[in-house]
Amino acid sequence: MKTKYIKVSVIALICSILTTGCGDSWLDKDPKTIITEDQVWNNPDLIISLLANYYDRLPHLHGDFNTGGMAEIDDAMWSGTFDQNSKNDFQYGDNYGQIWEYGLIRDINLALENIEAYGDNLKEDQKKLFIGELKFQRAFVYFELVKRMGGVPLIKEQLIYDFSGDPSHVQVPRAKEEEIYDFIYEETEAIKNDLAGNNGSKSRANTYAALALQSRAMLYAGSLAKYNNLMASPITTPGGEVGMPASRANEYYEKSLTAAKTILGSSNYQLYRSNPNLGENFYDMLNTKDGNTEVIFVKDYLPILKSHYFAYDNIVRSISEDNESSSALSPSLSLVESFDYLDGTKGTLRYKDANGDYIFYDNLSDIFEGKDARLYGTVIYPGTTFKNTAVNMQAGVYVWDEETGEYRLSVTPTLGANYSDGGLWTGLDGPKDNERDVSNTGFYIRKHVTDAALASTRGTRADNWWPWFRLGEVYLNAAEAAFELGDPTAVNYINTLRERAGFPANSISNLTMDIIRNERRVELAFEDHRYHDLRRWRIAHEVWNGSNDSEDAVVYGLYPYRVVRPGHPDDGKFIYEKIRPDRFRQPRFFRMANYYASIHQNDLNNNPKLVKNPFH
Amino acid sequence: MKKKIAFIAIICTLVLAGCGYDNYDEPEATLSGNIMYNGENVGLRTNGARIDLYQDGYDFSTNISVYPAHDGTYSASLFEGEYKLVFRGDAPWDTSVDTLYVMVKGHTKLDLEVKPYYIVRNESFQKGSGTVTAKFTVNKISDERELEAVNIYFGKSILTDQNQNEGVTGIEMSQVNIGSETTITASIPEELANRDYFFIRVALKISGIGDMYYTQVQKIEL
Repeated sequence: MKTKYIKVSVIALICSILTTGCGDSWLDKDPKTIITEDQVWNNPDLIISLLANYYDRLPHLHGDFNTGGMAEIDDAMWSGTFDQNSKNDFQYGDNYGQIWEYGLIRDINLALENIEAYGDNLKEDQKKLFIGELKFQRAFVYFELVKRMGGVPLIKEQLIYDFSGDPSHVQVPRAKEEEIYDFIYEETEAIKNDLAGNNGSKSRANTYAALALQSRAMLYAGSLAKYNNLMASPITTPGGEVGMPASRANEYYEKSLTAAKTILGSSNYQLYRSNPNLGENFYDMLNTKDGNTEVIFVKDYLPILKSHYFAYDNIVRSISEDNESSSALSPSLSLVESFDYLDGTKGTLRYKDANGDYIFYDNLSDIFEGKDARLYGTVIYPGTTFKNTAVNMQAGVYVWDEETGEYRLSVTPTLGANYSDGGLWTGLDGPKDNERDVSNTGFYIRKHVTDAALASTRGTRADNWWPWFRLGEVYLNAAEAAFELGDPTAVNYINTLRERAGFPANSISNLTMDIIRNERRVELAFEDHRYHDLRRWRIAHEVWNGSNDSEDAVVYGLYPYRVVRPGHPDDGKFIYEKIRPDRFRQPRFFRMANYYASIHQNDLNNNPKLVKNPFH
Repeated sequence: MKKKIAFIAIICTLVLAGCGYDNYDEPEATLSGNIMYNGENVGLRTNGARIDLYQDGYDFSTNISVYPAHDGTYSASLFEGEYKLVFRGDAPWDTSVDTLYVMVKGHTKLDLEVKPYYIVRNESFQKGSGTVTAKFTVNKISDERELEAVNIYFGKSILTDQNQNEGVTGIEMSQVNIGSETTITASIPEELANRDYFFIRVALKISGIGDMYYTQVQKIEL
């Protein structure tokens, strides 16, 4: 009886709790693991961290500081581990450079819609700045898409499937190539003033980053419109997804020049000239963060928190602080020779005289004497230093044989060993043919390899930044655009840039397209320009023609040897021998099909409205 | 002991027998033939020109790429059925032709007639001392494109082309007679001079097309 009473009262109690529920809000708490749209789009800190994520995801053919990628598309070969020797032994596939980065575009579109829908409590100028940055990022991604794929579907808002069973309304056909370039122009034009709030920043897009993107994109558009149509048979699709009308070339060049002039006219940026040693100055230009007036927009890195392995990968072998890797990238002889001499002569190295005999040099670096200072800032060659330490480069000895009355070359597999005369045989830094983690061409890369302490260790790593846009390129954009427009001031931009490299004032009087192209090659080496430049000029298939006779398609090296001939005046001098590195297997072979990468079959399957690129 | 042997025997039979289960049998039909113009095979670069095959009736249409060999023959192992055959761009012939429908059943032979822009006929090579004298006739088939260059390639293997060669002699365009015989004397590259034999072929570079038109490779005994 008693238990029955208790049972009934318990049931009654439970019923009353269940039916009344909780009236007050003590259970109604904000979840700790979910951030609502409302919270994100009204909190500048949260928006900035979202933007940081998008900045980090900005696409790039091989990713920034990708040593292996540079070995494939820049003037260098791979000399790291043997298992990656395919970088010296490959052909550009149909899908080389393929990109379909709509994940990031969707994220940005979504952000743009949500900041409008929810961000009511943001200050007006702050909101404009954020929208400007998002649009900059979107324009940046579209530029990467159009330069590699041609015209792509231009999607500016999120696509939502209506579950009707018919997905055709979210299948967007490709826009014309020129439409994408026009979009990039209009977007950067529209946001450039809104971005002024970031003008003190280098890692967030500001007015000048937008203009630099505009200047580069318009230059690409102009040269595509011009040079594609100068080809024997222009690369086009009937719908204009690929191929630009020649009539628009000048318009694009003018836009590029105007944008470049605005940047050059700003007092915020000057060519970096802090170091009176011009070679070191060119190196510092990318390596120094404090007070850098040259770089406009970068991907920044921080010690430990966000760092990269470029110094670990590429530091000179004997100066490496780690017990593995180093020296993975060996720049080519062709690149080194493309740096002119300061007296105005062509940069071809004089290692043999007119009779085909070796020239004997007193010092290792004498052959590079009088070269464009940018050579020092870009490449480490024999007889120079890195981190105030002399590099130890010598391939072997050039020994006089008394019996035969002839010289012969002699090398040893032991790096750093001495020859029987007590002098150095093969240097600690090679160069050594068919060897890993030591230069195979006789050159190391200096650009981008930071000299910070312990940066070449895996524990610390490097934190120098990646330059997306810098003033040197803007000068070159202005020069090229002006030259194409027949503007006689074009030569001034080139001469200014060359003055920084140690050339006298007005070193060039008769500007040609070849000079401009060579300037871009030497100034912007290893900054992800060469491959795209060759493509937009439509000369990639001629420069990288797959021929074993081509100086550009094949990566050559130049090895120094010490002369051993006791008692003779030539003893102790140096000669240089050109070689074709054993590890470089296949000449670069760029086919017509590589001017635009193929669209992945999955994307074609998902969207039947997509037109294939030519030759695919 | 006996148990052990029996055990080993069982394992061996299991391993050797393998798994008999698979979703499909391997394709047993083949499609093969020659790429030719007027009854003669067109010479090619290995891995150069490409034919794409498509089969309808499936959710996704992925092409099957077929790379013809250097001598202009091609072959592919396929499942039986109807295929669409498409020529891809950047080949030394007019690729703007209609899609072909091919019924593949058993061992199907199909010769593909193409229309090159320029061809080489009646080529012959005469060995001299350290030189080779090449005689050939370049004929124009179509006015659509220009002849840009004529090269003679020397190689140590039968796969000799613009990528794989031991030497190349470029011929001055003024020396090339279109429609009548051209005679060129070229020196044998040093690398090949001391061998027992080498291979040689003539190639035409046609404007706007990356891949060249080649003659069949000929072997020259030294």
